[in-house]
Amino acid sequence: MTALLEVEDLRTSFKVESGRFQAVDGIDLRLEAGRTLGVVGESGCGKSVTALSIMGLVASPPGEVAAAKIRFEGRDLLALSADAMRDLRGDRLAMIFQEPMTSLNPAFTVGDQIAEAIQRHRGLDRAAAWARAVEMLRRVHIPAAEARAHDYPHKLSGGMRQRVMIAMALALDPKLLIADEPTTALDVTVQAQILDLLRRLRAESGMAILIITHDLGVIAELADDVTVMYAGKVVERAPVEALFEAPQHPYTIGLLGSIPRLEREQARLDAIEGVVPNPLSPPAGCRFHPRCPFAEARCREAEPGLGPVGPSHFAACWRTPLP
Amino acid sequence: MMTFLVRRLAIILPTLVFVSFIIFGLQQLLPGDPALAMAGEERDPDAIAHIRKTLRLDEPIAMRYAYWMAGVVQGDLGISLRIQKPVGELVLQKLPVTLQLAAMAMLVALLIGIPMGMLSAVKNGSAWDYGANVIALWGLSTPNFWLGIMMILLFSVELGWLPASGYVPPAEGLGANLAAMVMPAFVLGNAIAAVMMRHTRSAMLQVLSSDYVRTARAKGLYERAVIGKHAWRNASIPVITLGALEFGQLLSGAVLTEQVFSIPGFGKLIVDAVFNRDYAVVQGVVLCTASAYILLNFLADIAYMLVNPRLRS
Ligand SMILES: Nc1ncnc2c1ncn2[C@@H]1O[C@H](COP(=O)(O)OP(=O)(O)OP(=O)(O)O)[C@@H](O)[C@H]1O
Ligand code: SF4
Ligand SMILES: [Mg+2]
Repeated sequence: MTALLEVEDLRTSFKVESGRFQAVDGIDLRLEAGRTLGVVGESGCGKSVTALSIMGLVASPPGEVAAAKIRFEGRDLLALSADAMRDLRGDRLAMIFQEPMTSLNPAFTVGDQIAEAIQRHRGLDRAAAWARAVEMLRRVHIPAAEARAHDYPHKLSGGMRQRVMIAMALALDPKLLIADEPTTALDVTVQAQILDLLRRLRAESGMAILIITHDLGVIAELADDVTVMYAGKVVERAPVEALFEAPQHPYTIGLLGSIPRLEREQARLDAIEGVVPNPLSPPAGCRFHPRCPFAEARCREAEPGLGPVGPSHFAACWRTPLP
Repeated sequence: MMTFLVRRLAIILPTLVFVSFIIFGLQQLLPGDPALAMAGEERDPDAIAHIRKTLRLDEPIAMRYAYWMAGVVQGDLGISLRIQKPVGELVLQKLPVTLQLAAMAMLVALLIGIPMGMLSAVKNGSAWDYGANVIALWGLSTPNFWLGIMMILLFSVELGWLPASGYVPPAEGLGANLAAMVMPAFVLGNAIAAVMMRHTRSAMLQVLSSDYVRTARAKGLYERAVIGKHAWRNASIPVITLGALEFGQLLSGAVLTEQVFSIPGFGKLIVDAVFNRDYAVVQGVVLCTASAYILLNFLADIAYMLVNPRLRS
């Protein structure tokens, strides 16, 4: 089966005063049509940069995206012209963001902001695009959708705005939705509603989702497969059951030890001892070794590669399988 | 929205009254006796007494203010002693000139300042940005009268393309009218364009890094919609306010520029009136321009509200 999205050796760096820093350092992702891939990791590990790199939204300068391959529906996104990429964005490939409060333009009604994308990609007239926008608002369960379409974003709550963002992203029936921490900024009850909505919409449309989060609770709710990132690299990849039942990488084990539950006050992943390494000068050898309880001499010298540890299960650790 | 407008309107009247106090009060500080100035060389005591009487110069200042205001509210700004014409008529005569000059200058400022500011923000850090900033610095640091004289030397004296000075009413030929106005309008607009450019640039830079601009790009919108619609609509808010203030400034007359190009607008009218101790004219013109300024501010508030939905509800 050919993948919907294939990313190989993605490297995205930013030019900063003190040089170039590698926010994403050679990661691979693979996502089949209709499936959901979760990408999890601590703040600053490069999750958003990965998403923006796939979307072609990394500003250059200061950013620079390089990869062996970014293929979407069989097309090499790196080889696409800016225009072809624009045609794809918002149409076959859509994204929602972490900050619903600031991601909508305060100067235009939400209906206008949804209709605009429809007009851009489908060339519908204004009335037809507006009708479709209202229909989308209904599909994301916004009450009194006709009236709400005329509202400006400041009138809506965070949860409502995130629903509007989802309506906007799904208005053109994308094959892939990239959801970058879609629930992080919301209250716990609203989080559950949004996840529920995403699950329902996924079942209706058959789209694939790349869900980015630092919340393993979200992964458990939504994902089929999981990729764990640490300091710009993939450290473990597994089907979701395997990851929760038998995590292989010490970092993942640490994450699961501090698994937050959706119902409870959200615990952050940084319950693991120590801090994320400075991306400008990552530690030699395994990047996790300063924080790893299993670290030994070779961990400080050489970097472990991603190797098989079970069916469809990979980890980048010298010591797996752990005793 | 209505309360916002009503509140704004409610401020206007007291402001105007306050402004009229200031105008009238400062006027009294001008040195020299207008009656003496008016009476001419002979200083005929009868004539002086007559002037004092018609001007009510012997009455207390409060009474004189009351007389003046009573006239003003009925649309009577008094009579120019020098020219022996109603001040209202003089103002109406000069108004089209000043209005045309201000409008043309503003057009120059907008046409240069906003695109340049947008360009330098979109191409932040590039040669375009650098070039636009150099031009803006030049615009800010060039005195108007110097630029005016240089333009006259180049376009009138050297090339002979444009008249050096003077004013032609549009009724006597639109071409000649525009030829006479284009240089002063450019000189005035040039300085404002620089300010506009800087404000547009910084507003655009801020907006371009916002999340909603990223959302607009994620929708696959063309850059012209991302910049022209999503970014500019938000960046235009401070620029509108600035534009209204600058326009108000232009309406109060561009004294030096009008002098250099011999344009008979408010600037020239008021300078002549001050030198001639023509009280009524000074008061009338200043009151009119101050009112225009306040009105423009009010209009800017409305425009501000129209582009900013948070203020509308
Ligand atoms: N435009 C940029 N210029 C410079 N550095 C950047 C830029 N965008 C991101 N970075 C850096 O890249 C690194 C990875 O950032 P990224 O936003 O991908 O983290 P994240 O995993 O999404 O974290 P979070 O959970 O906080 O969203 C961070 O150190 C960040 O500071
Ligand atoms: S390679 Fe060594 S330091 Fe890195 S995770 Fe495995 S045990 Fe820990
Ligand atoms: Mg992020």
